[in-house]
Amino acid sequence: MHPGLEWYLSLSAVLFVIGLIGVLTRRNVLVIFMCVEMMLNAVNISFIAFGRAISSATGQVFALFVITVAAAEAAVGLAIVIALARRQDTVDVGRIDTLRE
Amino acid sequence: MPDVSFPPIHYVTVVPHLIVTGLAVVLLLMDAVSRRSRAARVGQIASLVSVIGYGAALVSLLFTYDHRQVTGGGSIRYDYMAIFFLIVMLSTALLTVLVSANFVQLQSMSLLEYLVILSFSVLGMMVVAIAGDLIMVFIGIELTSIAVYVLTGFSRQSRISHEGALKYFLLGSFATGILIYGMAWTFGIAGTINLDAIRTAGASIATGNPSLLLALLLLVVGLGFKIAAVPFHMWTPDAYHGAPTPVTAFMSVGPKAAGFAAMLRVLVNGWTPAADQWVPLVIVLSVITMTFGNIVAVAQNNVKRMLAYSSIAHTGYMLVGLASYQVGASKMDFNGRAIGALLFYTFAYAFTNIGAFSILTWMQARGRGTNIESFRGLATTAPGAAIAMTIFMASLMGVPPLLGFFAKYYIIVAAINANLTWLAVIVALNSAVSAYFYLRVVAVMYFREPDRQIVPQRTSWLGLGLAVSSLGTVLFGVFSGPVFDLARKVLL
Repeated sequence: MHPGLEWYLSLSAVLFVIGLIGVLTRRNVLVIFMCVEMMLNAVNISFIAFGRAISSATGQVFALFVITVAAAEAAVGLAIVIALARRQDTVDVGRIDTLRE
Repeated sequence: MPDVSFPPIHYVTVVPHLIVTGLAVVLLLMDAVSRRSRAARVGQIASLVSVIGYGAALVSLLFTYDHRQVTGGGSIRYDYMAIFFLIVMLSTALLTVLVSANFVQLQSMSLLEYLVILSFSVLGMMVVAIAGDLIMVFIGIELTSIAVYVLTGFSRQSRISHEGALKYFLLGSFATGILIYGMAWTFGIAGTINLDAIRTAGASIATGNPSLLLALLLLVVGLGFKIAAVPFHMWTPDAYHGAPTPVTAFMSVGPKAAGFAAMLRVLVNGWTPAADQWVPLVIVLSVITMTFGNIVAVAQNNVKRMLAYSSIAHTGYMLVGLASYQVGASKMDFNGRAIGALLFYTFAYAFTNIGAFSILTWMQARGRGTNIESFRGLATTAPGAAIAMTIFMASLMGVPPLLGFFAKYYIIVAAINANLTWLAVIVALNSAVSAYFYLRVVAVMYFREPDRQIVPQRTSWLGLGLAVSSLGTVLFGVFSGPVFDLARKVLL
């Protein structure tokens, strides 16, 4: 017996929520970024599961686009983190707080 | 093995995009072949090339205007909405180049690299404008966002520039995750990512379907981050404050217009049948966004930060146009006016807000800060700049006959026609509150003694940008009729 669509969607939702909570609670920039990546990949599971359920290739195509964009985002994001860490020697968002009202 | 065939594309509909792509490639090649020692001169040439490129793309709209159609297998929608947004985005790009050219070189940043990244961001915005399916919306939004993350952190010497970029990046990519989760659920419910097909499929989905509610909520939250609506605005003040000032001018207008374009594509073109469910969300967002933005802006002493909060408030005003959307085929003309008011607002905001930030750029190029005290007695030391700043502040406040007044007027009329009179009243009250912090800048310029002279500096590009944006703010205000006539065809 194959697991049904709702199994995949539940897995995706659980991973997405873990990522979401991680972004909101963690202080380390790199961990926050990993949580964002987890959210994106959780969405990919949903896309592929939905695509499979309605037998359409669109879900997989969309997932490929998401993966590509996530890679581009990672390149820019890590560059920003490195530029900042060189200057301040920290990756803790609590200590990156020059900008306040 | 399914038969794979590529849908035909009528290339005439993407001529402006091809021009801007060509521009990006030319600029990249210039960067590759030019010598470092000549960077200053090459930068000036690159600015000229950019102006010509964006200008050509703008002019090309005149010739492709009659070729409105859906093409590329439904993934390209070249309609009135696309044309109007392209006008706004290309004007934004043009003004941004004018405002940036001198400043970026004075701060010893590489102007050529700056223009390359800017052109990619503009291209991303333009892709959202013609998007006919969710992949196009997603790719466009991401192309413009990722380029703007880089521009925000563009100043290598400045710590706050990097910090602003980091915050923008973290919350921007977080928002992307939420947005595409909404797209995934849209795909799951409607069985398609094509906007027209979503509209057809949506008609047969029962009201109150929990999956539909989840999808709409995720889409509105994800796009709410991109347009800086409260409570998804946390990144806005820091990113706007940290970024080099010309970049702030650009990102307060360009990516916001792209975000609104995405919102209109997904909600109005796609999820029209579910309008009775997303309209309440938009109404709530608009009320808290404009109220919060204006109240916090009152307390700011830094004009750059004040304009960041004012930008949040203006997002709220724009959302009123979308909140006035009504369900039903008979409402075509009415909805055209409501959404047209939103489009007109983005147009008005482009000229006025870039103008206001270009004054800040002008001051910074002359060794002044962005604090309110820096504006002391500007009317005696630099009367021209003071008059221009007064025009922009008055337009942001909504003084007739400037652009900003008509933008608010159309928004308020749309709200009243939609029986949302209380919302119109809130817009008016908010405008009254905003008068305080806009007029404060004007008062400091005219009624305080200058504490020091302006350092002279030649900034001819910036001067041209200032002239264009202030003339635009006045002239398009006086002759706002034709612009609005184009804007209200948005749903045709």
